Amino acid sequence: MRKTRISFFLVMASLVLAPLAAAAQQTGAPPKVKDKAQIKGRAFGSPLARGLYSRASTAEVDPLAKPGAPAAVEAAVSAQAAPAQEAKPAPALTRDVNTRLSTAEADPQAKPGAPAAVPPAAKKPAAKKAEVKRTEPIVPAYSGIKEKTAVFVFYVWLWFAIAVMIYFLRLWIKEADRVYWAKYYEPEESPRKDNPLAPVLGD
Amino acid sequence: MKIDMKKFAAWFDDRLALTPIFKYMTKKEVPQHEHSFWYYTGSSILLFFFIQIVTGMMLAFYYKPTLEGATDSIGRIMTELPLGWLVRSIHSWSATFMIAFVMIHLLAIWFTKSYRKPREATWMTGMMLLVVSMVFGFTGYLLPWDDLSLSATKVGTNIPMAIPVVGKWVTQLLRGGDDVTGDTLTRFYMFHVCILPLVIFAILIVHILLVQKEGMSVPLKDEIAKKKVPALPFWPNFVLREVVIWFVLLGVLLTIAVLFAPSLEPTADLMAPAPEGVKPEWYFLFLFQTLKIFPANMGPVTGEFVAVMLILIAVVAIFFLPFLDNKPEGKKGKVFQYFGVAGVIYAIAFSIWSLL
Repeated sequence: MRKTRISFFLVMASLVLAPLAAAAQQTGAPPKVKDKAQIKGRAFGSPLARGLYSRASTAEVDPLAKPGAPAAVEAAVSAQAAPAQEAKPAPALTRDVNTRLSTAEADPQAKPGAPAAVPPAAKKPAAKKAEVKRTEPIVPAYSGIKEKTAVFVFYVWLWFAIAVMIYFLRLWIKEADRVYWAKYYEPEESPRKDNPLAPVLGD
Repeated sequence: MKIDMKKFAAWFDDRLALTPIFKYMTKKEVPQHEHSFWYYTGSSILLFFFIQIVTGMMLAFYYKPTLEGATDSIGRIMTELPLGWLVRSIHSWSATFMIAFVMIHLLAIWFTKSYRKPREATWMTGMMLLVVSMVFGFTGYLLPWDDLSLSATKVGTNIPMAIPVVGKWVTQLLRGGDDVTGDTLTRFYMFHVCILPLVIFAILIVHILLVQKEGMSVPLKDEIAKKKVPALPFWPNFVLREVVIWFVLLGVLLTIAVLFAPSLEPTADLMAPAPEGVKPEWYFLFLFQTLKIFPANMGPVTGEFVAVMLILIAVVAIFFLPFLDNKPEGKKGKVFQYFGVAGVIYAIAFSIWSLL
């Protein structure tokens, strides 16, 4: 019996771990790409890093050129930078370390995303580039040490919150058990005796 | 203006007749014994199911089930929407957890022989829930419409072809035509968000009502010895213990969802050849490997036909297990116990083999 129980536990544990390992293998390994710099960009906007980076709206430039679409960002930046250099040498869209399109340098007074911030010459080529088909996978990744730290801070907070809640729940459970074993509410003999679902389900 | 909460509650109680339900909940008891831990797997499934519904609805607001829009809409969810990547990741991982817990729950019932009389119908509805959950996973796998999901769906929807007479019709019904196309995507989306939720809700309600009607099982040896097993009230003692497990599971789910967020492959090309290393989701791996080891032809029939028939027979046998193992306390009962262990080892071994 003991052996059966041990083997039962072993197979159950393997059943839990095997799919997790398999799924982790499928999701955890990022696909190979030629240029690793392309996937280092922010692939998702983490709420934990809200306000850590300057955000810029690229809505007027290219619907694909958003954080997380690195290939599209590259294409949009190069497409916009080239005509902008021809027309006007100095202010153009730049790319910061977080792979974000920043319009701050184009016009310090203009708000991010304002149409005026985008050089007029850059609009047409960008619209053409919007049709470019994405060939690289979108891989979620940290954009930098700040975001990585923020995520780990979140983990600590999450598990700390869970630990605190479990501590209070434990106290509640102890009290509920004490009240029950002390027969404070004096339960009746059979829980099924007065079954309110009996008319529906039968007894 | 002061609101009288007692009157408010009395109004609700009068209209909805809640008192008998609450009374029942307070009187319901849960047996306490060495296998009581497995009772918690049932409520954990409900937790993951609830997470699936909530995150699924959030994703459905932005997902477009069309050839042109499917991948891009998921790309938009992942890159533009606040926390979109996390919602998608939680939805994906929660599905994995849910199916894993359904399997654990069924195996726990198998090994403790809780399916014995009078709980045969509870077991059968549980088996139905497992099958529907797996179909949920299968239909959801295609929705990103990338190369891998397209190829896996082609393989998956081709399997019923091996069934004589109705096989072709089933495949066409699944695909919405002879091949996997945009119609298949729309069809799978409808299955995933409309038909399957209705089916699973219906089965789930019957399953939960049956659990309430028959109560929770006690260990077989205690039943044979007619030993009175100590019990704990469902509310609040058992529910509070369940909440502790839910918190831990939520923490684990969130941690994994953030650490291993799924990526999004490029849009599938219908004309492109299947990529190398096409694999289904983890819970189909052992079936996939089983199909692979059979030769192309086995005498007058195809190997695929033999494999599909064997799998179908196994599923039907497991479905009617309570009637096959009608004497769980005897030698026959032990044989079914060994069958269970062998089945689990087979599934794990073949899944690992498929990954190698």
